[in-house]
Amino acid sequence: MTITKAAEADKLELKVAGRLDTSTAPQLEKELSESLTGVKELVMDFQDLEYISSAGLRVLLSAQKIMNRQGSMKVTGVNEIVMEIFEVTGFSDILTIA
Amino acid sequence: MREISGEVRDGSVFLRLSGRIDSGNSAEAEKEIFRITEEAPSGPVEIDAEELEYISSAGLRVLLRLRRKHPKIRICNVSSEIYEIFDMTGFTQMMQVDKAYRVVSVEGCEEIGRGANGTIYRIDMDNVVKVYNNADALEEIQHEREVARTALVLGIPTAISYDVVRVGESYGSVFELLNARSFSKILATEPEKMDWCVKEYVELLKKIHGTEVPEGELPDIRETVISWGEFMQDYLPEEAGKKLLAMIKAVPEDHHMIHGDYHTKNVELTDSEVLLIDMDTLAVGHPVFELASMFNAYIGYSELDPSIILKFQGFDHETAKTFWEKTLALYLGTEDPEKIRSVEDKARIVGYTRMIRRSIRRGGLTNETGKAEIAHWTEELLELLARTDSLVFFPFELEAAADRAQLQAVTEFVDGHLEAAGCPARAQMQIGVAVEEIFINIASYAYGEGSGRARIRVEAFGDHAVITLTDSGVAYDPLAKEDPDTALAAEQRPIGGLGIFMAKKMMDEIRYERKDGCNILTMIKRY
Repeated sequence: MTITKAAEADKLELKVAGRLDTSTAPQLEKELSESLTGVKELVMDFQDLEYISSAGLRVLLSAQKIMNRQGSMKVTGVNEIVMEIFEVTGFSDILTIA
Repeated sequence: MREISGEVRDGSVFLRLSGRIDSGNSAEAEKEIFRITEEAPSGPVEIDAEELEYISSAGLRVLLRLRRKHPKIRICNVSSEIYEIFDMTGFTQMMQVDKAYRVVSVEGCEEIGRGANGTIYRIDMDNVVKVYNNADALEEIQHEREVARTALVLGIPTAISYDVVRVGESYGSVFELLNARSFSKILATEPEKMDWCVKEYVELLKKIHGTEVPEGELPDIRETVISWGEFMQDYLPEEAGKKLLAMIKAVPEDHHMIHGDYHTKNVELTDSEVLLIDMDTLAVGHPVFELASMFNAYIGYSELDPSIILKFQGFDHETAKTFWEKTLALYLGTEDPEKIRSVEDKARIVGYTRMIRRSIRRGGLTNETGKAEIAHWTEELLELLARTDSLVFFPFELEAAADRAQLQAVTEFVDGHLEAAGCPARAQMQIGVAVEEIFINIASYAYGEGSGRARIRVEAFGDHAVITLTDSGVAYDPLAKEDPDTALAAEQRPIGGLGIFMAKKMMDEIRYERKDGCNILTMIKRY
């Protein structure tokens, strides 16, 4: 998994590519805990995300809870296979998917 | 009377039945039969039924009464129609009933296959006959029919013979094989289809090896191979011989099917499907024994004389080598040359053992060609024995420490097998999710604070995959856990608790079993 970061004022965009699983989720979790302070608008670009497991969902849910308090979070570029996982787990209702 | 004639010779009764025997004449027939048998009141009876056209239950009852006095009865030259009556009424179980055989000539017929105990010829567009080497092959034919039936019932695509015929001095069994071409022929005439052949060939092989056989239905090849190992004790240096036998004995019992003679002449492409033929060597056992005979077929037998393969398979040594290497890589689901080599080494040990024994038993030590072969094979075998400690490998199974750090190895192993079997990307990802969730669950909880191991088995087929995860930790049924409420809003959703639920949702079938101190989770995904 690779994370590409683009920050501008209080807007943060994270492009997550590859596999978001038990092995790689801690990396994203760390990135978020270090970068979310003062962020009002978070965009997660999943265009190149190939795989997500419950470990990845956990990080997304934590991020969503934080952003509910301090601003907004949006997920973009979700492919069909990842979308299906969001749907069966109810995450398609929790996340704002554009 | 006309229908019954016969005589007694050397204490045996010979009877000839003809025409119809039914309630109209059975009483008279019985009287006549017992008049003839008087001279040998309990001697063996041989009944020639060549002229018999019909026998009703009244006639059958006469035979039953005859059997009370003459326990040994053989009926021969029975026509197919009459045989059916004997078979349906259970007489074929009570006495020896031998069919009259149609005579078939194979002169000028195309040879389409050759196995350990017979040769297969095409007799017309739709039919082939397997002619047995052994002149007294009726028992073998019966055996092959039974094992083919066993295989068919277990889901292996094969042809079952529908008739037994006489071919010269031998017997043959006839199969329907519509428009079939062997893989050998395809490889010989259309080399561009190599990869397609490998794929189909490996898929069928995995299907065979993934088929569990109820105990006792097929012979266990391990016992045969142990006898080869015992034979070799006189022909190898003491230490090497002991090591060989110990290694064979250390191969665990395995109730999965193996074909025993799985080479490209025994795999046929028909209009609609790929069929397995020549089933007489069918057995159960570890796949290393199958790979051994495959190695021999493609490489071993022609190692010293590459022209042998051309004569046997119709394609050249290079084609055989490429086919074998591609097959092994796809079967093992890896491109790693070291892994492939290590499995091939194990197969070669069994393969050389078999060839050396076979050659010695056929007088190989008494002629120059044989001696050269045996010396070469023995040299290879000794070299392999010096650097190999086990014949066991797990083709579809990975054993790993039950530790999160192993997740990547597990994922790569599973993906490799699924990809090799042509599993679609979507199903592959879903299986990946389920495997990850269950594996992480095992890694986190199965062994508490301690550590242990987990086994992941992948059986991938054309339209579905079966994944089994096993651990020997505390008994725990993850499926018993209540599903999370996926309708809750973000603030109410607990972090976590989704893994098992996702595994369930991703798979078509998932079941848990606690057996022999192990947690076994079996998951099926169709695609």
